[in-house]
Amino acid sequence: MPLSLLIQKLSEGLLVSIAIFTLTLIFSLPLGLLVAFGRMAKNPILRNIVKFYISIMRGTPLMLQLMVVYFGPYYIFGIRLSHGYRFIAAIIGFVLNYAAYFAEIYRGGIESMPLGQYEAAKLLGYSKTQTFFRIILPQVIKRILPAVTNEVITLVKDTSLAFVISVMEMFALAKAIAAAQTNMMPFIVAGVFYYIFNYVVAFASEALEKRFSYYQ
Amino acid sequence: MKNKLIAVLLVAFLIMALAGCSSSGDKNVVNNTNNNAGNNVADNDQGAAEEDTFIVGFDQNFPPMGFVGDDGQYTGFDLELAAEAAKRLNKKLVLQPIDWAAKDMELESGNIDCVWNGFTINGREDSYTWTEPYMDNEQVFVVRADSDISTLADLAGKIVSVQLDSSAEAALEDMPELVATFKELVTADNYNTALMDLESGAVDAVAMDEIVANYQIEKRGSDLVVLEESIASEEYGVGFKLGNTELRDQLQAILEEMAADGTMAKISEAWFGKDITTIGK
Repeated sequence: MPLSLLIQKLSEGLLVSIAIFTLTLIFSLPLGLLVAFGRMAKNPILRNIVKFYISIMRGTPLMLQLMVVYFGPYYIFGIRLSHGYRFIAAIIGFVLNYAAYFAEIYRGGIESMPLGQYEAAKLLGYSKTQTFFRIILPQVIKRILPAVTNEVITLVKDTSLAFVISVMEMFALAKAIAAAQTNMMPFIVAGVFYYIFNYVVAFASEALEKRFSYYQ
Repeated sequence: MKNKLIAVLLVAFLIMALAGCSSSGDKNVVNNTNNNAGNNVADNDQGAAEEDTFIVGFDQNFPPMGFVGDDGQYTGFDLELAAEAAKRLNKKLVLQPIDWAAKDMELESGNIDCVWNGFTINGREDSYTWTEPYMDNEQVFVVRADSDISTLADLAGKIVSVQLDSSAEAALEDMPELVATFKELVTADNYNTALMDLESGAVDAVAMDEIVANYQIEKRGSDLVVLEESIASEEYGVGFKLGNTELRDQLQAILEEMAADGTMAKISEAWFGKDITTIGK
């Protein structure tokens, strides 16, 4: 197989990886904030349910979660799966998992804000919502960016787990081509692709951090 | 300012995602072997056409039965048979690469119609609804040519690798005395990993299908040999979900037809240089 064709095939796989990556971020970043609120809720029932959810998501492998999300509907509830569910299941699995991690990062950021700021905002007549979105959240985002970047970079590499439910992402293709070509080239190209992908992510994150460093 | 930046980023991500979906979704159902990498993505529109598709599940790391060819398309002996059979069934062939360890779940849940992939019947008779066998196979050991292993007895104290959930693994399970002499039995994710282990010296022998072994050795051009003593002889068939006799019977008739009119022999000769199929012989 010529190198150009190899790159073209792996690029097709890369598109699938990018789709998983992007959709996961779009859904899990906001969901993570909701989960963080649930985790900090005053209501003990809600708080403990969310705590349990986070502990399951962090305490079991993502690979296992993907299999449960994909095969669970049939094996637990007897629902016949449609062909298109495969990719959707992958997204659901990734989103649920990553939302739990993001939630804890958000919580760490939110709880690190000094109480004095809330008191000052109250004195100045800010409502609770206003306080959170105008004063607290912007500072939280600044603080948690490095931790979020860590997770996002991990996500890029975790997309390779999707093949456990037969989603043909880049690494599954690289393995298949390596098996047929009996050489290491597909792995090297896949490695370069992952590296470039993560380089872009790290670059974007750095640019974002710079944007947010308006007080320094 | 921040909000704008976040909005721009979100839009950029969305566009990337859409690009990812659409470019891989539009070619998910194809005729014959022109499958592609993205056949899993965004094919919701397929439900209506489900009756007319023939979804073949296969391990894409399994040359010469099913693998990625030099032109980047899925190819292989079994897949060529499947393409011909689908044509005669008047159905659209969908090639669905699967994680081999998940094949039962894929079949049970109806994501694939059959497993057609050098699929060994022996030992699995009661787990699937099978066609008649179409090819003989043996489970053998592959070793490095310069190694001192020439019989099964020489494997004592050696490290042996086998693919997870393969029929070689099943055959070894039936021979606990032999396995007990090994230094270690390693389970590999796929044959390629196992053979890379063998070539690099990490393991001393790989237990696998003879047909696949011969192809791999020729293709790799490396100094590997197949031991003469085999551990099991067996037959390949097409496996359907238990109880799916209707589709099985249809396929069985077509396989016999393909054997009778010489199509099967022709495909076999193209892949193996001779007719090694067993239907109608």
